[in-house]
Amino acid sequence: MSYKIYKINEELKDFMPKEIIDLEEKATWGNPKRGVMDLPYTKELIEEHSLCAGCPESMALRYIIASLPNPEDTIIVNSTGCTSLVFPHIALHTVHSLFGNQNAVASGIKRVLEWRFPDKVKDVVVLAGDGATVDIGLDCTLQSFFRQEKITTICFDNEVYANTGGQESGLTVKGHVFKMAPKGKQWDKVPMWQLAIDSGCHYVARLTVSSPKRVEQVIKKAIYVAREVGPTYVHLYTPCILEIGLNSDDGLDEMRARDKERFAFFEYMTPQAEEVINRIKEEGLL
Amino acid sequence: MAHIGPSGFSPYPVAVYEGVLTPPPGKALMFNEIVDEEIAMREAAKAMLTRQNPTIFPGPQVLYAWNEEAKEKAKLVRKMAEVLGAKIIPMYDYRPKYPKINPAIEINPNHPNLTIWHNKIKACIFVGVHCHYANVALKIIRAETDCFTIAMCSMAGHEDAMITLRDQHVEEMEKFIKIAEEVKKELGK
Amino acid sequence: MQATETILYNRAGQRVVSPDYLLFEAPRTKHFMTGSEAVKEAVKRASVDASVSYPITPQSEAAHLIGELWVEGYVGVYFRGESEFGVMSEIAGCAMAGARCITTTSGPGTLRAMENFPMWAGTRIPVQLVLMARGINSPLSIQPDNLEVSFLLDTGCMIWYAETAQDLFDMILAGFVVAEQPDVHVPLITVVDGFFVSHTREAVMLPPDDIALPPYNPYRAPMPVIDAEVPPGRFLRDPFVMKSNYISYATHASWQWEVRAAIERSRPYAKHYLRGLVEHFGDPEADLVFVACGTASAQAKEAVRLLEDEGIPARVVKLKTIRPFPIEELREAVKGAKYIFVPEFNVVGWLEREVRRYLYGHSNAEIIGAPRVAGGMTMPAEVIVKEVLKLTGKEVKHVI
Repeated sequence: MSYKIYKINEELKDFMPKEIIDLEEKATWGNPKRGVMDLPYTKELIEEHSLCAGCPESMALRYIIASLPNPEDTIIVNSTGCTSLVFPHIALHTVHSLFGNQNAVASGIKRVLEWRFPDKVKDVVVLAGDGATVDIGLDCTLQSFFRQEKITTICFDNEVYANTGGQESGLTVKGHVFKMAPKGKQWDKVPMWQLAIDSGCHYVARLTVSSPKRVEQVIKKAIYVAREVGPTYVHLYTPCILEIGLNSDDGLDEMRARDKERFAFFEYMTPQAEEVINRIKEEGLL
Repeated sequence: MAHIGPSGFSPYPVAVYEGVLTPPPGKALMFNEIVDEEIAMREAAKAMLTRQNPTIFPGPQVLYAWNEEAKEKAKLVRKMAEVLGAKIIPMYDYRPKYPKINPAIEINPNHPNLTIWHNKIKACIFVGVHCHYANVALKIIRAETDCFTIAMCSMAGHEDAMITLRDQHVEEMEKFIKIAEEVKKELGK
Repeated sequence: MQATETILYNRAGQRVVSPDYLLFEAPRTKHFMTGSEAVKEAVKRASVDASVSYPITPQSEAAHLIGELWVEGYVGVYFRGESEFGVMSEIAGCAMAGARCITTTSGPGTLRAMENFPMWAGTRIPVQLVLMARGINSPLSIQPDNLEVSFLLDTGCMIWYAETAQDLFDMILAGFVVAEQPDVHVPLITVVDGFFVSHTREAVMLPPDDIALPPYNPYRAPMPVIDAEVPPGRFLRDPFVMKSNYISYATHASWQWEVRAAIERSRPYAKHYLRGLVEHFGDPEADLVFVACGTASAQAKEAVRLLEDEGIPARVVKLKTIRPFPIEELREAVKGAKYIFVPEFNVVGWLEREVRRYLYGHSNAEIIGAPRVAGGMTMPAEVIVKEVLKLTGKEVKHVI
């Protein structure tokens, strides 16, 4: 594990701010059983960031980062959008490259890390919005599934281009009025979870982030399966409360409402994935 | 570096456009002159010992215990600060920090001038900062402040610093500390 | 006392030698091969970690041959990407994770991949792209034409231009060495004219294939490599820096300058490993000078021979690097020139623009952007001679 890169030299510790010392001493490193239940007690790997107050995406990011089984050896590849405003503040090696090329960059990183460190586990996770994953980046996303890249892809679906000011995306529901769809969206929401299954993902889940514990379970499964079997895909509903006209404290209710309809929990796994998941469960890691 | 101040219409001056490149191996760069390492070390020590609020900015490569060299260098940075009577302000990572930095205790490559202004630093040493971020920061410092910049680089050096020492490893840092002690004596400090 | 010598081997089992030994000192033997095959021979001796490929004429063969090297164990990672946009992003990922990388493309592929090149430069990865120039759409053409190079001039990548398969072989090896210097560390685009070099067989002098360049050391890079093994642990490559609450218009401006400064820092290294940024051919006293690169310089050399037969002294200044542009070398070389011809394989005359820009105020010579051929046309030496004769008014019998 690469915990050493967080370890501060004793001689210079006096000069370091508390947040950095806490990162060394109070974050959960080297413990695959870490999870969302640690959040109140340990140093989080995310510092202050500039997402809107009450943004469900910021909750999702906190749950996901808290659930990574191997954070000290996890690389996250990101794409352009609201999430990229958070990435400078995540205490891991992360990449923002171009809008839509995240799965391509992640493929290169994963393959080279396997070649450079054949005896180490280095998890590569892609984390991007619906525009990046399904519109501009769909080719790179699906092709990485076809090629069976051993990476986990997580899509933050807020059903809109939020960072650019609220334009219709491929994941907007039919009929919804957004900018660039002034008459309402003319076609159906893209069933990305189904495309992921058809394109060769070994573990696919669709859910909202209303339940932190469920997010943790899904993320862990997706990462363990990607490590050993092949691509995995997690589709999370993280509504843009700003663009759908809700208050800062409405995010959770919105997600709970969708839990009962278009984001009802859905999980798919191949037999190989199931084998891995069962084994990980037996080892007490799930 | 050749001059203090902006270059053309860009707010950030670039020494290479004035024909100043990184020094060849075994040599150092002082303003726009290639000189022996010892001469540059002597002048660097003098700048740190005579200018106001001298400060060392250690970067991630010496702050964290990621290899044996880093552990050794951290000890030397501490010692160097003692000899030079310098403050230590860390550049512990390179992120654009939200909502803002505290310029009294940290320096950030995206706006290094804030820390230099706040602490009225007139001489500084960059050590253990990755070359790209050192270069980005040094260009900004050169145009925005009157701080005398010294780069102690383990690679090829930084022509935008006023003094650049290249290939600086444990042995070279020890040599610098020895020279600094001599200069300090000469200055009667 | 006898010194003990440590012999190092790379992961392919080749003996690691110094770049100077590999390029200048190792014994060489003559082989007959295409430019694409010369790419393979260079990659074979370059301790390459990763390559990603995509088919497009005329670079496909070079990409296939790198795949063969992967099968033979000379290249660590190799696969076919989904498009040039994908490929250039995949190779960027490979490089950020600490690999020595090479890839290839041509014409429309270059433009498809375009968004990646300034990103490569900004994130300071020393990827080498072998560009086998071909026409760009529309209409479609697979023929040689180097218009695409004009789009690449300001991407923040270094650009070198090879004339022959031999040049290409040597430039690829020298290219890794120069691009990976910690104070340079920006991408390198090594250009050859498609078909004229990629598909033509010529004699190439090669060092033995059981020696190779020292492997890439990613920990000398000017930015932390993305492998979770180097601090800072909190590191985004590369962050948004334009938010006003970060007060960092400064960062973007300084960062852009830094990328250009890095190209400038490559000059002394390139001078050493390429033995100069320009090459001279012909009568050093001649006041008639051809400034050219690639195949155009090969044809200009032929034209110099024809002109010599007619009693007109002429010479060629071949530019080996376009970024950095050999400014001082060119100004020095054209001292005393009366006429400067810039023959090119494209309709816009991007090299003529560059030559004019850097000679402005430094030369009184008349600069003539001719001849220019495009869309796959060849440039017979006679065509070049004809342009010269138009100017001098001299009648020469063998010219068509």
